[in-house]
Amino acid sequence: MVGKTEQTVTGLARARAIYQDRTRRINELKAGGRKVFGYLDAYPVLEMLTALDIIPYAILGDLDEPITRADTCLPTVVCPFLRSIMDLGLKGRYDFLDGIAMAHSCEVAEKVAHIWRIYLKPGYAHFIDTPHTTHASAIRQHRELLQEFKNTLESFAGKQITPERLKQAIALHNRQRDLVRQLYDLRKPDPPLISGAEMLQVEIAVMSLPVEEGNELLTEVINNVRERRDVPPLKPVRLLLWGSMIDDTALLDVIESAGANVVIDDTFVGTRAFFSKVELTDDPLDDLARRYLVGIQNPRTFRENPISDGRKDYMADLESRFGYLKEYIQEWNVNGVILQALRYCDIHAYEVPSLRDYLNRIGLPSTYLEHDYSKAAMEQLRTRVQAFIEVIG
Amino acid sequence: MTTEEKKKRAINRLKSMYPLRALVDGMYEKAVEASKHGEPVAWCMVNWWAGDTVLHAMGVHTVHPEDYGAVCAAFGAAQNYLDIAGSEGFPSHMCGYARNCLGYAAKLQQMDEIPPDAPMGGMPKPTLLLGSGYFCDTRYKWFQALGRYLDAPVWVLEMPHPGVHESRIEGAVQRDISFIVNELKEFIAFLEKLLGKKMDWDRLEELVDATIEMNRAWHEVNELRKARPCPMHSRDFWSSMPASLYMAADPRETAKLYWQMRDEVKSLIDAGVGAIEEEKYRLAFAELPPWHSLKFFDKLAERGWNFVVESWAYHPPRPLDLSGISDPLERLARLTYQFFAGYFEDAYDSGDAWGYFAHPYLELARDYRCDGMVLHPLLSCRTATNHLLVIQDQLLERLKIPSLVIEGDIVDLKMFDPADALSKAETFEETMDHYKQVRKAEGMEW
Ligand code: SF4
Ligand code: SF4
Repeated sequence: MVGKTEQTVTGLARARAIYQDRTRRINELKAGGRKVFGYLDAYPVLEMLTALDIIPYAILGDLDEPITRADTCLPTVVCPFLRSIMDLGLKGRYDFLDGIAMAHSCEVAEKVAHIWRIYLKPGYAHFIDTPHTTHASAIRQHRELLQEFKNTLESFAGKQITPERLKQAIALHNRQRDLVRQLYDLRKPDPPLISGAEMLQVEIAVMSLPVEEGNELLTEVINNVRERRDVPPLKPVRLLLWGSMIDDTALLDVIESAGANVVIDDTFVGTRAFFSKVELTDDPLDDLARRYLVGIQNPRTFRENPISDGRKDYMADLESRFGYLKEYIQEWNVNGVILQALRYCDIHAYEVPSLRDYLNRIGLPSTYLEHDYSKAAMEQLRTRVQAFIEVIG
Repeated sequence: MTTEEKKKRAINRLKSMYPLRALVDGMYEKAVEASKHGEPVAWCMVNWWAGDTVLHAMGVHTVHPEDYGAVCAAFGAAQNYLDIAGSEGFPSHMCGYARNCLGYAAKLQQMDEIPPDAPMGGMPKPTLLLGSGYFCDTRYKWFQALGRYLDAPVWVLEMPHPGVHESRIEGAVQRDISFIVNELKEFIAFLEKLLGKKMDWDRLEELVDATIEMNRAWHEVNELRKARPCPMHSRDFWSSMPASLYMAADPRETAKLYWQMRDEVKSLIDAGVGAIEEEKYRLAFAELPPWHSLKFFDKLAERGWNFVVESWAYHPPRPLDLSGISDPLERLARLTYQFFAGYFEDAYDSGDAWGYFAHPYLELARDYRCDGMVLHPLLSCRTATNHLLVIQDQLLERLKIPSLVIEGDIVDLKMFDPADALSKAETFEETMDHYKQVRKAEGMEW
């Protein structure tokens, strides 16, 4: 059911409205009796929530909100995005959630799952201990962990997730992934038909809605974008944005106002959340285990290093870790890469020199930016972004 | 040292500590020697015995770059390696030990030999790198990043990290144990292929049992420290723990040394001798100490501060009977899992959601009758830092134990300011005195 307040605007405008106020629609849905669970990062399995009519709602931070309360439970040397969400939680911003699902997406996120439980005492909480590797035993373990997650959800909801229901939910989320892909395809022309900042707004809006409603919104947006006349201006530089959590348009605004179009990304609110689909077989749990552990491209998952004659082949290792980016670069006709990481985000920081080796090898210029998750910090990056764009423009 | 000087020592050091420390100091030279003779050497992340035991059984020598980071920092060699890592593009907020190692590896590659200025004889070029998923992302990302300089293959050993509630779900523990066992099997298959030889299962069996025994002995030593006055100071703990944590030698040899330590500690208790002259305050220390400023503890000892227990993460697992388990890999898996989850049942019963890092500190502080805890956040080791605020908060709220926060770092040794820390001691004593009264009023036992 679409709420009255939302019916007046459609497509991109509606996505922007939801991005600007993520709680209005969700509160309407809650008032209508729907249950809402918060999830953190890309690893909690959304299909299971959808299969039980629970709305998965991405827990995101707020660049405009100074971190004050989180100082009591998370030191300043940890990821400022996680500090931000903890801060919002302590300030009651997520009180409407009926439960939370978190996973071992990175070390600190794992700790935040426990800290959230200690301080915010959610009605339902489950932690999926997502393995770190794609070893055969890790995939099996992950399947078992998803079975466990499913069981706890079923006891919370007081009903079973039937295989049929799970398959339907997978189909709905796969449909969403297809729609998002279609929208990304509209960034392939030059100029792209939708800017990086707009894309982020749409993706955040989708992550704040039930999957069916997100799919409706995406369909509207796709039609809207196909027909629009006010496309982003032609710019000489087409960028790929890689790295840590970006859940605000501030950095994209800086980049796109400095003379480049961001045409593709490799971040959570972006390709990582939407590009990999669940390949359905007759064991949906196994399919989900594989999609969420192996399918999602993210440096938090260790992929085996190719070995020949007992030695590791560095170039082959780079190819196996970053080869997917070559496809993005070719298909979206990218001519430069911005690598960015939040300060204290180890998962991404360790990757930077090797990823730059890879990009050098395929002849693509790159720059690395580090920031501390604040609007002021994004603004301070402007000069460096401009300099990079000038070099490749 | 003259007898007069010895008398003045504020902390009585255990004699049995020195041979344990020597084992660790000898680890690097032994590996360099082995490498010269063509024997395989692995660089390992701390893996709480699971990986090291398997490697030793396969005849692979092990060194621990995390420990080597501390060595380089203490010898003043780290800055050069950190600078190299910085110029290679590794961000400065990353783990200090990792940056030290990345710089070291870059230099090793560039010179094609161990840099002559490398402390303790250096770490030889590895045959393989054993990363681990234990507690810290750095422990596998660091080794992956070393691929720029080393062509040694990386294996990452998984370790389950369930939540307290999740671990209570029926079948969860057995599933996690099976996961570790399966992981070890995959690791052994990888090693057999890499080294072109088969696992010596008899040797593994022996080493697993010796590792269990070593941890049992080490646990008994620490149990005795609950005595008042406590006969063993944290300084002796820190000198002795790497022998176990890094499997610095054959565990059979290490176990003997820990038993000797147990006997020494026991005899001190019988004689009523404490680690410091007058134990006025019993303290716990959270996370790694300021290695270069350990004399700081002497000053505190003079004030009557005895450090009686340390971070849970460096302590051996609580003992459990593994004698009925015939598969050595399962015994090993259970030992490692026990280290991680040994406090989970208690945590669950006390309603705590964080069974490692958070809850064990509460139990240790209570069981060792602590008056206060010193928390040492480490700027470039987040793993040792990100739980400290929760502990501070929970200790005060639930056990009425106050904490003193003194900032430091693992490589930037200047971060720790002993004079500043000492200036806070008097006020903290007043706080400890105050909370002693509060605990009494609330009917607590100490
Ligand atoms: S930005 Fe980095 S540290 Fe923060 S939650 Fe994401 S992966 Fe973890
Ligand atoms: S961050 Fe800390 S725990 Fe992790 S590898 Fe570095 S020193 Fe060890």
